[in-house]
Amino acid sequence: MKLARQAWLIFRKDLLLEWRGRARTVSVILFGIVTLVLFSFALGPEAEPLRRGAAGFLTLALLLSSVLGLNESFRLEQEDRALDGLLLRPVEPTALFYGKAMGSAFLLLLLAVVLLPAAVVLYDLSPTPGGMLRLLGLWALAAAGLAAPGTLYAAITGRLQSQDVALPLLLFPLVVPVLLGSVKAMDLVLTGDPMRQLQSWTLLLAGFDAIYWSVCGVLFPFAIEES
Amino acid sequence: MEAAAPAPALETRDLGRRFGRRWALAHVDLEVPAGGSLLLAGANGSGKTTLLRLVSGRLESSAGTLRVFGLDPRRQRGTVRSGLSLVAHHLSLYPRLTAAETLALWLRLGGEEASRARVGELWVEAGLEEHGDVEVGGFSAGMRKRLALVRVRIETPRLLLLDEPFSALDAAGRAWLAQWLAGLHREGVGLVIASHALEWAAPLCQRAVRLTAGQVTWRGPAADLLVEGRAR
Repeated sequence: MKLARQAWLIFRKDLLLEWRGRARTVSVILFGIVTLVLFSFALGPEAEPLRRGAAGFLTLALLLSSVLGLNESFRLEQEDRALDGLLLRPVEPTALFYGKAMGSAFLLLLLAVVLLPAAVVLYDLSPTPGGMLRLLGLWALAAAGLAAPGTLYAAITGRLQSQDVALPLLLFPLVVPVLLGSVKAMDLVLTGDPMRQLQSWTLLLAGFDAIYWSVCGVLFPFAIEES
Repeated sequence: MEAAAPAPALETRDLGRRFGRRWALAHVDLEVPAGGSLLLAGANGSGKTTLLRLVSGRLESSAGTLRVFGLDPRRQRGTVRSGLSLVAHHLSLYPRLTAAETLALWLRLGGEEASRARVGELWVEAGLEEHGDVEVGGFSAGMRKRLALVRVRIETPRLLLLDEPFSALDAAGRAWLAQWLAGLHREGVGLVIASHALEWAAPLCQRAVRLTAGQVTWRGPAADLLVEGRAR
């Protein structure tokens, strides 16, 4: 109960800080849009290749934007060593992890509100309202799958001068299953699912989310203790 | 039957901490009884902050033993940390939170109700009555320090570690802090103060040690440190 309460307080604190420094949130969203636009330029004006690649472009936009958000999430804690203040007492490191991971997942979920409609326009997609809801659900699963390991690695790399480079180098290989699951599942929503595979890919994504959220929660206290 | 004496608030034997090949602290023997006080003096880089970070459990020692309330601060961190507060050189504040939000966050994280009255009581104690709704980023260094110090009231520690508490404060602020710390000490809170401001810190402490290049080079009553300092 104490852990859940502390995690909720950290989550609320992070959202408030995000709101107060919203220029950063806006820049993450703009970066996502620019990424989608660049993919459309790279493949040329024809609609068909864009439609076929849309699921991959959306997932990559989420992945690349997530690095910006995650890097900043722990920079807030390193400024004035706020993290020390939380850890010395009375915050449980595990509560800190879940609070911060929920904050990052929420921010990445917010991206969907802008990027999904942007992709519909840019890539000439025509999902049904039900399809849009499914895309949103898959986006949420992918965001959760990135937020948990991203929070763990952001804590580890937060003390490094080369954090901006180190975080993606560590994070990207680990989240390949999320990338694959998300691309495949979104593609099935956008281009049709004659073999009824969507459920399997969704379960795979959810399964990796469960693994990441539990394993990273266990590892996080070791990651933030100085040796 | 006599009650057992309480474990010392802090006890170190041959304590050392190495960063790479350099020993930041070596062969440090200290004892602070429960409710006692110790002044750590020494030049910049003499190992005062490293010692405080070891005691708080944020760093692991490289040699020797360290006991806080009779416990290992790394292995029994939860119990040790529930009795400790550290006001470090970095104040651990979020610049974009207001003073009131900061205090409310600390209260709630500690499991307390953050009523307006309780928060107000704390910011009055910190002398920040007019600034409760101002973001901490807009505070002067002295105001930030007062806010960080008043956190101790929420944590109610048995041992308070302070790293240069008198820095960034004007004369009135120093006088306020000295009085405030003396009050806490009278209530039974142990103090370990790392400070260059010996004229302010020494009267608050019973014992003192001087660290030089990570080693204890002088120890004695804190009042003697001023005399010893003048003689050097």
